Amino acid sequence: MEVENNTNLLMRDVNCKLGIFTRPDGSVFISQGETAVVVGIYGPIEVKLHKMLINKASVETHYCPKSGTPGISDKLCESILHNVCEAALVSTLYPRSSILIIIQEMQNRGGILSCAVNGCCLALLNAGTDMKFLFASSSCGLDDEGNFHLDPDNLFLEKATASFIFVFDSVGKGLIASHTSGSFNLAQYQNALELCKKASEGIFDFYKCMIKKDLQDKI
Amino acid sequence: MSIKIGEFVFPGDVLRDLTVVNGVILKGPGLHSHEEPNCLLVTRAGILCFKSPNTYWIDGQQKRYYPKRGDLVVGIIKKTGNICKVDIGSSELSSLSMLSFEGATKKQKPDLQVGDIVYAKLLSAHREMESELVCIDSYYKAGKLGPLSNDGFIMNISLNFVNRILDINCPLLKTLGQKYVFEIAIGMNGKVWINAKKTKDILNLMNALLAAEQESNSNIIKACKQYAS
Repeated sequence: MEVENNTNLLMRDVNCKLGIFTRPDGSVFISQGETAVVVGIYGPIEVKLHKMLINKASVETHYCPKSGTPGISDKLCESILHNVCEAALVSTLYPRSSILIIIQEMQNRGGILSCAVNGCCLALLNAGTDMKFLFASSSCGLDDEGNFHLDPDNLFLEKATASFIFVFDSVGKGLIASHTSGSFNLAQYQNALELCKKASEGIFDFYKCMIKKDLQDKI
Repeated sequence: MSIKIGEFVFPGDVLRDLTVVNGVILKGPGLHSHEEPNCLLVTRAGILCFKSPNTYWIDGQQKRYYPKRGDLVVGIIKKTGNICKVDIGSSELSSLSMLSFEGATKKQKPDLQVGDIVYAKLLSAHREMESELVCIDSYYKAGKLGPLSNDGFIMNISLNFVNRILDINCPLLKTLGQKYVFEIAIGMNGKVWINAKKTKDILNLMNALLAAEQESNSNIIKACKQYAS
């Protein structure tokens, strides 16, 4: 497809601050453009008896919207985050305990889910929880002329025909989660996948850079 | 792509070409065995460390304690009885038998209340079982273990800072000792108990530790040298 010329291949600015809270074991503030979330990790901590698993840690994810109680879309977001984190964590190392991940939405200007996934990974790195691989998420949107737009904001998403969110792992660079909405064909899906895969590599470099900077003055 | 000692590693990295002695590699926190022989899988972010002949571990940041056998910890009594429950900051309370104190018998037990602080050793820590504490060594002597005075103050610091101040080359505690007369019990679980003659001294010591936690090793050494000279 000849869409390369008028495609926006730049992500919005990603910024983060590690260890912003003293009480949780790991915490991070991450912003992608004007979208921002705060993630806190506790774990391994004591688990309620009915949630206890004898062969691995139970992973609990809580997604809190900016105001009010979580709705259906927030629960969907929560379940995606839960599945991604559970896949990445080596939960068999901590049987009979739980790992609590709390995601607080600060501001939503589009792409909150990919921002939250990236926040979870950074917070888990900050907490020193054992993981099998790193994970990074990136999103892209498709407008009615067939142009791709990487990391779209809410203004673009309002008139977009389709939007894609992908999560990749750092080892095999494979897809671990995919969430799409709108109408598109298979070729467009493949193109979006390639585009997001390229963008996710930038996010992995960003993680490594931030963790190195954070650890350098603490070891 | 080979990773050298002292480099940053991240979860998912695989370490190859390791030094093996008699077919054994000793692996510390953050490292796990890999399917291929002589290879280790990294599960934490941090700096790769090596000690000859065959020990590897990862030096990273951590706040939550995970019990390890033989660790000396500071704990807070949460429940009393014949077997006390002690909070050592891990995912569950660990047990401490009243008979595992020096000179304790069924009739004569140490007087421990809820909220008291003990300095104890982890006798067993298995991930499937509750961890068990003792306040005696293998010769039934207390040594430095046992209940700590209620006059002291307890604070939490991160686990890698514990390792840093317990390093024999770290001048921090020695330098603090030149100015203040104090007692300190540093648990591997990140709980630190401090006692001094005056409350003001305790507060100053606490602030010194909290300030040092944010500084790098070289800065601490520099500040200590400046103070000593």
